[in-house]
Amino acid sequence: MNRVVKAGLAGGAVTIFLGLVGLIERFADLSLVGEQVTFSRLILVVAPFIVGYAVGRPRVEHGERRSITAREALLWGAVAGAVAGALVGVAAVAVDAFGVERVRAVFIQVTQGLIDFVTLGLEPPIVGAIGLTAISAVAGVLGGAMHVVPDRIRKPIVSAIATILALGFLQRVVPVAMAEIDLETDWLYTSAGLTWFGAAVIGGIAAGVSILKTWKGDVIRDAIRGTTTGSQIGVEGSAPRGGTSVLRTVILGGAAVGLFVLPLVVGSVVSERLGTVMVFILLGLGLNIVVGYAGLLDLGYVAFFAFGAYATGILTGGMLNSFEGITPPVIHADLSFYVALPIVVLLAAFVGMLIGAPVLRLRGDYLALVTLGLGEMVSVLVASPWLTPLVGGPAGMRDISDAAIGGISFRDPKNFYFLALAFVILALFVSRRLYRSRIGRAWTAMREDEQTADAMGISTTSYKLLAFAMGGAIGSIGGALFAVKIGSITPASFQVFVSLQVLGIVILGGLGSLPGVVVGALVLVGLPGILREFEEYSFLAYGAALVIVMLLRPQGLVPNVRRTRELQEEERAQDAWAAEKEQEAAVEGVST
Amino acid sequence: MSVPDDLPVLEVTALEKHFGGLFALSKLDIAVRRGEIVSVIGPNGAGKSTLFNVITGIYEPDGGDVRYMGESIVGLRPHQLVKLGIARTFQSVRLFANMTILENAMVGQHCRARGGVFGSILRTPGIRDEEERIKERAIEALGFFGPRLSGYRMDQPAFSLSYANRRRLEMARAMATDPYLILLDEPTAGMNPRETLELRDHIVRMRDELGLTVVVIEHDMRVVKGVSDRVIACDYGQKIAEGTYDEVAHDERVVEAYLGTKATE
Repeated sequence: MNRVVKAGLAGGAVTIFLGLVGLIERFADLSLVGEQVTFSRLILVVAPFIVGYAVGRPRVEHGERRSITAREALLWGAVAGAVAGALVGVAAVAVDAFGVERVRAVFIQVTQGLIDFVTLGLEPPIVGAIGLTAISAVAGVLGGAMHVVPDRIRKPIVSAIATILALGFLQRVVPVAMAEIDLETDWLYTSAGLTWFGAAVIGGIAAGVSILKTWKGDVIRDAIRGTTTGSQIGVEGSAPRGGTSVLRTVILGGAAVGLFVLPLVVGSVVSERLGTVMVFILLGLGLNIVVGYAGLLDLGYVAFFAFGAYATGILTGGMLNSFEGITPPVIHADLSFYVALPIVVLLAAFVGMLIGAPVLRLRGDYLALVTLGLGEMVSVLVASPWLTPLVGGPAGMRDISDAAIGGISFRDPKNFYFLALAFVILALFVSRRLYRSRIGRAWTAMREDEQTADAMGISTTSYKLLAFAMGGAIGSIGGALFAVKIGSITPASFQVFVSLQVLGIVILGGLGSLPGVVVGALVLVGLPGILREFEEYSFLAYGAALVIVMLLRPQGLVPNVRRTRELQEEERAQDAWAAEKEQEAAVEGVST
Repeated sequence: MSVPDDLPVLEVTALEKHFGGLFALSKLDIAVRRGEIVSVIGPNGAGKSTLFNVITGIYEPDGGDVRYMGESIVGLRPHQLVKLGIARTFQSVRLFANMTILENAMVGQHCRARGGVFGSILRTPGIRDEEERIKERAIEALGFFGPRLSGYRMDQPAFSLSYANRRRLEMARAMATDPYLILLDEPTAGMNPRETLELRDHIVRMRDELGLTVVVIEHDMRVVKGVSDRVIACDYGQKIAEGTYDEVAHDERVVEAYLGTKATE
């Protein structure tokens, strides 16, 4: 019981925290469905729901798995939810009694409106607090019920609610996309979120899909994988594994087409953000080679981003803002972007080795610290008076090439997306080929145990330098594209936070995983841009996302696929092998 | 590399290694001829592993010389020595735990291949052939230990192996570097008696079938007796006896070093 109360208190504390930072009141008007389901109301019940779910989970006690009965799950959920709600209610009543203005002196986001909202607008507040406790208890029961209700009922409901909420959050994006392809949107969206009718339809579809999946799931899965259920793998020669089926081809083709039509339908605001996502995917892929493959923790990766951007600016006719008006930098060339880029990439690889050389002997924490310093030096240098004649100091550089081909400017967000996509595909290809070669093996060995790798014939010096060079080269493409995208650059874009953001992408997605980098960039860079309302809370969400993912899924969102698959297929391979050996033994037994 | 048969493959002269005031190796002389199996024995702390670490370039010696095929190899990095044909295993097994068994062995072949960045990205026919060859050679090295490291096991991560199999994989990885000289640091530590006897045969086979020259640090006297052409006993970083197993086993100073008292008393 102690545990249940503690969980409830923790949930209440989270809600209070969200209230104190202003998240609750800020979104009182953000409707998700109809006018009734607002984001703020959702926040109030989310924490009780989660703690209600958490306390009902089966758990391991003294080494034994202890399952929880349905009654316990519901009861504990109710108690935990009620405690969470009561804590929030008590806090609201206390603030009200103490005087909102006095509390506001410290917590500036606390307003009378917030207190009224939390106490459900009832007078006196204590009544509202009791009401909130009751609602929270219900939310807690629902959380506990997640363990009680059988899968075939639970899954469709959860999937329906999740889909409705997701579309509710995407109310700035989805209608625009639908309008672009001439779809009627009025039935689904109003100016404030989904309509109830739309929500019901969407929920119904999601539930239907979920039911279909439970019902015919294995058939569909086999169709996608191109295998048939019960095919013996490896026993009778080569089974038709990995053979392409029609459905699989359709899905892959659909995804590819989706990638290409995406910017055409989502509108220019989202296209612009997708371009940024592409730049960060490139940065992530570069850093993935250094951190994910070679295991060198580099916190100064922004250096390559800056180098790529400024070098592109200098080589493609960028100009400086100075006191005498617009002047060319001291080193100046007016090359085509496509001539300049290979030069930039080669130089960046060289810079990578220059940065790598002094830190070759450092490991782990020390390496991280020194690279952090080197990255910061780059940020300071580009803003310094010393380099002002070259890169323009704080005022930066302008008039950078838009990389136009035949009059098609890549400054346009939609066109830029395709240019960046091409380089992302190239970088994915290069990363994958390198990883699955002798070089990738050497990096992996070095990451696992540097000294042993050396003693097994791998020149760790060369391979560290190579990792820095390849990482630098790919990162500089990200910088070059960034310069093309916005046309003018200032030191403000190359602060140390970029390094941390890219590292966050790589770690969140899963170290060493290429799809992970893409997903990580979409989540950490794409989502904050699409959910514009939350922009001011993006760092809060960022931190929370990292903490949650690292606690629940330390291997990342999309872990390094190869190893995961190996672990799963191990058992089947083992069975096949054992059967084979058994057969051999039987044959030998007959012949002797 | 053709070397006259009488020239020692490995020759250690007056080797010194100090850690602060501790003399881990002191005026140590050792010579190993081609195709020999030499055991190095001695109590804990006698400097045996330090000797291996100096030979393989992990430590720089403080004095003396290490000659391999007649040429001094002092100052060369470990990976350069692997390329010259010196492979080793570690006393505390050091595999690449998250790589598969096959990949571990393929790392051994790294130094015998030369595929570069551009070739690997473009996957040229040359690179593909080379990868094939690396894989074949790795499978061959794993096959030395029979089915234990072969078959379905090759695609399992190294951490899934039993302790004895980890030791075997470490040896297979060393053999995959195509060495002339292999240094085994306590290869039977942690193995049960049956596995130990089996490994004794493997060590002999390394020499007889693969033509390797073997130096082995070993505590299990049945193994030492079973494999050694010559035994060198060390204590306090110095050689205290050398000869056949029987000669060394009955040497007064060796018995004293092991038992800590004068045997004659």
